[in-house]
Amino acid sequence: MSSGFDSPAFDTILAEAERRWQELTAGGQPWIRVGTALCGEAAGCEEVIQAIEAALEDQGLAAGVSRVGCLGLCFAEPLVDVLLPGGKRVFYGNVTPETARQIVESHVGQGVPVAGLALGQLRQAGGPETGGDPSLGDIPDLDRHPMRAREAKIALRNAGNIDPGDIYQYVAMGGYGALRKALTEMNREETLEQVAASGLRGRGGAAFPAATKWRFLAGSNAPLKYVLCNCEEGDPGAFNDKAILESDPHTLIEGLLLCGYATGAHRGYIFIRHGHDGPIDKTREAVRQAYELGIIGKDIFGSGFAFEVEVALTGDSYVAGEETALMEAIEGSRAMPRYRPPFPAQAGLFGKPTNINNVKTLAYVPEIIAKGGEWFSGIGHEQSTGTAILCLTGALKYTGMVELPMGISLSDVLYEVAGGVPGGKELKLVQTGGPLGGVLSGENVDLLLDFEVFRNAGAILGSGGIIAADENTCVVDLTRSLIAFCQYESCGKCFPCRMGMSHLLEVLERICRLEGEPEDLVLMRNVGENMQAGSLCGHGQLGFNPVASALRYFGPEFDAHIIQKDCPTGVCRTARFSPRQTRR
Amino acid sequence: MADQISITIDGVEIQTETGKMVLEAAIDAGLYVPYLCYHPGMKPYAACRMCVVSVEGGRGFPAACTLPVQDGMKVHSEAPAVQELRKSVMEMLIAEHPDGCLTCHRIDLCGPNDVCLRHVSVNDRCVTCPKNERCELKDTVRYLGMTLESPLEYKYRNIPLEVGDPFYDRDYNLCIVCGRCVRACQELRGDDAICFTERSGSALVGTSFGTSLLESGCEFCGACIDVCPVGALTERDHKWEKPARVERTICPHCPVGCQLNLEIGPKDDFIRAVPEINSPANRGQACFRGKFGLEFINGSGALDTPLMRRNGVLTECTWDEALDLLAAKLEEHKGPGFALLTAPDSTNEEHYLAQKFARTVMGSNNVDQTSNTHPELVEALASILGYPAATNPVWDLEQAGCTLVFNANVTEEHNVAAVPIKKAAQKGAKLLVIDPREVELTRYADVWLRPAPGSELLLLGGLLRAVVDQGLQDSDWLEERCESPATLQYALRSLDLDEVSRTTAVPQEEIEAAARLFCQSGSGAIVYGLDNIDGDLRQDCVRALADLALLTGNLGKEGSGLYPLRRGANEQGAWDMGCLPDRLPGFRTLDDDEARQETSAAWGVEPPEAPGLGVADALSGNVGQVRAVLSIGEGPAPWDNLEFLAVHCTNLGSSAERADLVLPRTSFAAKPGTFTNMERRVQLLKPAWPGQDREEGASGPRSEGQLFAQLAARMSAPGFDFASVSEVMDEIAQVNPLYRGISHARLEKEAKLVLATNPENPLPTQVLYSRKEYRGIQWPCQDESSLGEGILYRDGFPGGKAELVTPEFRAALQPDDGSALWLVPGRVLFQRERDTQVVKGRSNRIEREEWVELNPGDAGAMSIEEGDPVDVAAAGGQISGVAHLTSSVPSGVVSVTGLFGQLAVELQASEEWNPAATLEGLNIVRATVSKRVPAAV
Repeated sequence: MSSGFDSPAFDTILAEAERRWQELTAGGQPWIRVGTALCGEAAGCEEVIQAIEAALEDQGLAAGVSRVGCLGLCFAEPLVDVLLPGGKRVFYGNVTPETARQIVESHVGQGVPVAGLALGQLRQAGGPETGGDPSLGDIPDLDRHPMRAREAKIALRNAGNIDPGDIYQYVAMGGYGALRKALTEMNREETLEQVAASGLRGRGGAAFPAATKWRFLAGSNAPLKYVLCNCEEGDPGAFNDKAILESDPHTLIEGLLLCGYATGAHRGYIFIRHGHDGPIDKTREAVRQAYELGIIGKDIFGSGFAFEVEVALTGDSYVAGEETALMEAIEGSRAMPRYRPPFPAQAGLFGKPTNINNVKTLAYVPEIIAKGGEWFSGIGHEQSTGTAILCLTGALKYTGMVELPMGISLSDVLYEVAGGVPGGKELKLVQTGGPLGGVLSGENVDLLLDFEVFRNAGAILGSGGIIAADENTCVVDLTRSLIAFCQYESCGKCFPCRMGMSHLLEVLERICRLEGEPEDLVLMRNVGENMQAGSLCGHGQLGFNPVASALRYFGPEFDAHIIQKDCPTGVCRTARFSPRQTRR
Repeated sequence: MADQISITIDGVEIQTETGKMVLEAAIDAGLYVPYLCYHPGMKPYAACRMCVVSVEGGRGFPAACTLPVQDGMKVHSEAPAVQELRKSVMEMLIAEHPDGCLTCHRIDLCGPNDVCLRHVSVNDRCVTCPKNERCELKDTVRYLGMTLESPLEYKYRNIPLEVGDPFYDRDYNLCIVCGRCVRACQELRGDDAICFTERSGSALVGTSFGTSLLESGCEFCGACIDVCPVGALTERDHKWEKPARVERTICPHCPVGCQLNLEIGPKDDFIRAVPEINSPANRGQACFRGKFGLEFINGSGALDTPLMRRNGVLTECTWDEALDLLAAKLEEHKGPGFALLTAPDSTNEEHYLAQKFARTVMGSNNVDQTSNTHPELVEALASILGYPAATNPVWDLEQAGCTLVFNANVTEEHNVAAVPIKKAAQKGAKLLVIDPREVELTRYADVWLRPAPGSELLLLGGLLRAVVDQGLQDSDWLEERCESPATLQYALRSLDLDEVSRTTAVPQEEIEAAARLFCQSGSGAIVYGLDNIDGDLRQDCVRALADLALLTGNLGKEGSGLYPLRRGANEQGAWDMGCLPDRLPGFRTLDDDEARQETSAAWGVEPPEAPGLGVADALSGNVGQVRAVLSIGEGPAPWDNLEFLAVHCTNLGSSAERADLVLPRTSFAAKPGTFTNMERRVQLLKPAWPGQDREEGASGPRSEGQLFAQLAARMSAPGFDFASVSEVMDEIAQVNPLYRGISHARLEKEAKLVLATNPENPLPTQVLYSRKEYRGIQWPCQDESSLGEGILYRDGFPGGKAELVTPEFRAALQPDDGSALWLVPGRVLFQRERDTQVVKGRSNRIEREEWVELNPGDAGAMSIEEGDPVDVAAAGGQISGVAHLTSSVPSGVVSVTGLFGQLAVELQASEEWNPAATLEGLNIVRATVSKRVPAAV
């Protein structure tokens, strides 16, 4: 199969990509990149872009303006980086339309960076080495920024650096080289072996070895089988899947293609939650461009390997992220989980053998194939190879998205990478792995980023969302809010979860109103534990975690609400929450 | 093949086979594991978690309904931890389900007719639940032995009741969201009329967008009611009544032969019908007619006393007087001046006795059934293939690779037969519909060929030609099984395809595509009703359809065959019994020596030799010398100017009103015997009210058996004095080779005992009622050891080879009536492209502007434009609507498609005695279309 790969055709694309990249970075014009991922959009990147374009026109300046994805420094959005031809990238954080004008006038117009506004400087890939550019004065090296200093970017290597809407930029960064390598140099089994050697584990929450899962599918002789990518990502505080699709969708597409190649599947679905507009648009466009260049389709570059990709959506539903519910959604049914067995590897989407992976898992694959499984397994900690892609939010100095090698301690992440809690306050707790992951007290964050370490501590890395809360946060109120989410998102199929979540929320609302009774804690435990034991899918099985973990670390605070009828932080006395109508 | 293995449940070892789930294995073995969302016959759903169990060496509490059995597996269903988990879930259910029926302290004190003393709040009172003491939820609570003291807060949903739609009452305050109804609608029926709404604690069942059932695509089959474990879904009629006993019967409305369980109330009246789950013909399904069209059994207005015309007025008389008169009159009219007509719901035994009476006592071959107006439906099948009957079982349609439905409105007229067609279509089987009308199955069709009315036969010719032209015929099979296959193929070549296409208004490519669809799907079945086909063309249509089956080798195997859709419930039985003017029992001709010998040996009298006249003859004007008629049941009265007409019927209808003598007749539900359904299945019909006396002199209705016995006695004719109905069947077995091995004793003996769990345990009603599985026997059944044949012609045709008959492919002549068009009425369950207004109220009704669909060419000629208000005037009345121009309507046709919901509303509101039996078909008639001039303001 591999001998048929039409290398000249791919080389032509590569040459064109490199030419265009050269033009962008070292051509006749400055290149301005603005972060337009969800974080940028929320911070007002559109107004900034308008201001930039208006200023360029006013000044009669010519410059390329690109909308790039998320660099990870979400706290600094809108983030603008200016590259003068052949120079270095200078990053401006928290840009407003006014400062944007200033930056254009000074930096683009006169070549003088606005040192006072600059966040840092960075070497452009292929540009001159760090240091020794006197024109940049004392603008700090962005790589020394706490959020970036310990990063090892694999899946996020292109995020924030390239325009996700331009396949050539991805190719210029070496994109689809791994696919080419697999199709020309490796057979299916060798591809699987590299994934196995990498020790890659699923980033969706279960941390199941990816290669093992892939082999389930590869072993099936069914004429029709599917590979799915799951970007439901409905966890509050998690946005890394979305960010990958928004910033670098081709990494995911290449990963999916490689997965299809390795498992012998010829059709892939990228499943995105309805409402994630940015990721949906970017991914659809990327798929379209990949089809156009013949990277997806029948007989890819004459290799004989055929692969079709479709972007599928469902309505707003958290449980649609459960793998079997997701298949129901793609099939056009209500997103409710199926029972197992049969497992998806035997009978999944449309009853055919199916393999499903999280966005992050697949996004690692191109680099694993390009650089080898051994390289990947060299990063990380024990059985947890590679990196962790974390979303840092809440009471932290630097919020955003970081990709850190596994094995760093959570406290380093919180205090070093994220700069600790602002305002000199105490870290009270962190909530990891989505609402179902429960909470860890601020004193128990000395954990290594490692699937087993987390699991043993009763927490999960899960989606990679880390929400920090300071001393002003009321645990009971936070728990109520987490359970309100879980309740609202229960699909309503299995009885324990459908009704149990509502009862849990009802009790928590009562406690928040300072009307709880000591028996309520027993009641919650009974309902919660039976929900855990009796539910059909993970949503109900893990749905008691937020309450259980909060009770474990913060029992006295619950007691204060129930016995002393007092909320120590004052939140429940003053904050006006409007309890969602829990039941009819 | 599944391996036999054994597992233990709570220490009891049971045998089962691989592939089953633990819950199924337990149910098979008669062990009770509680469940609420599971229902036999549907895929497991794993939602209620009542069937959780623990497995030795396994983790957690898997649900037994989705836990595959493994050899040696040790399952615990009654372990304390398991029961605790169940109770905790039940506790939450009870917290949102009214539970006065469990908690009121007067439960054991209240008698059945006591006035409620209201010890619990109004909504919680047991008397406000229609399913009180018929409720699986309540029974399950009792099984779990719960204390019913709960710290959970009780919340009544407070949702208004849905009582505006026909037949159904829905109270979602009682719903436990087990999803059985939704799954029954989707999985068992192939409809999607209801769905889940909302999610989480607010999840419930409803229709998409909250519409009424009238517009949601509901076919009012009642399947959702039948599976509902609680009081949420109920039949409106007799809603509050509980059955005192339950009797199995067979639905009298169509020849599918659905077995139904009749619930009989404490006042000995019929309450409701629940389709039998262990019945091979209907597999737990019924339809709007069987489920909601049996109220006539209770017979308000039923005849009880014979009526005799005195001085031109029907006046009451005694049975003795009536029988004396009848005997005397019949003595006068012996010979060809007498005709005897049976009813579509007469039993086999009654049909047999009727023709025997006519032939032996009256010496006349003028014997027929009132519904046998179109014998051509099956006649050609008999002459070409061997038997005048459907070749394959109804549910075999589920196996068909492609089903061709030809001019038949299956969903309305043979509803349950449409279920396997729809299910197959949903699973990917192909469906080809040929019909000028838009009927429900057109929505599921891969190809819908819409010929101009009258050109159907020509279209079949085109289809056959397309088969041959594209080389799609099964030549080897043809060579082996058919006589002179070349003749037909040669004749087809002279068919002008351009003309076919022009006359039928079906493009040639579509005909060709249809031929490929039918021939390239593995196997093909043909279901035909010949609705609206001109009398002259009917015989040839059947020939053409038989040719299609033969050409493509689609006979004698699964998923193939021909299904003529007869009308009457036991019309097949009438044919089998020789209740025809030119046939003896066993469908043998009058000049068949063997048949004559057998019958005369059994009867002691030779049947008359000359063929008699039937209903179809009389309707076409060939009335012969008939002067006296004894007619069983209501039906068309084809003979006028009679000297004497006696009608034996259950209620006073139009033909009885013309009669000289009216005799009250026992309804189907009160008499014993057998029915033979459309798939040749001879099924036992048991009286739900047995022992209605056979004594002379007593008043009240009598069955035909009694009538003929008492009449024969008066006329001193032997051969009608049977001690029981089963003896009649024994005589049938002597004279009918197809029934030779069939006896009542055998039908009863071979009914399989269904292993049911202890009836004290909560069970779905359908399962609870299913004590025995009566499979019946599908003829031909040559002897006691023969199991009958599900599929005919597996080993060839009775006459050796089948003969391909070449029909004369032609279209019916268009009547010359100026500007008239064919008005083609259609009816579908729902129309996604049209907005429907439903006016909700005490009873919901559909209010919408009808679309009058016209071919743009015709419309242009009448200066009618899209959206113009138009009137369509036909003999039956006038329809107003807005013009909708579409080329999918052939030229010369005006099409109006209504909603099934409208029919349901009409049925519900009907004042007729048995509205389900007198349902109008969708008849194509001539009509004129005119643009409506807006009234001056």
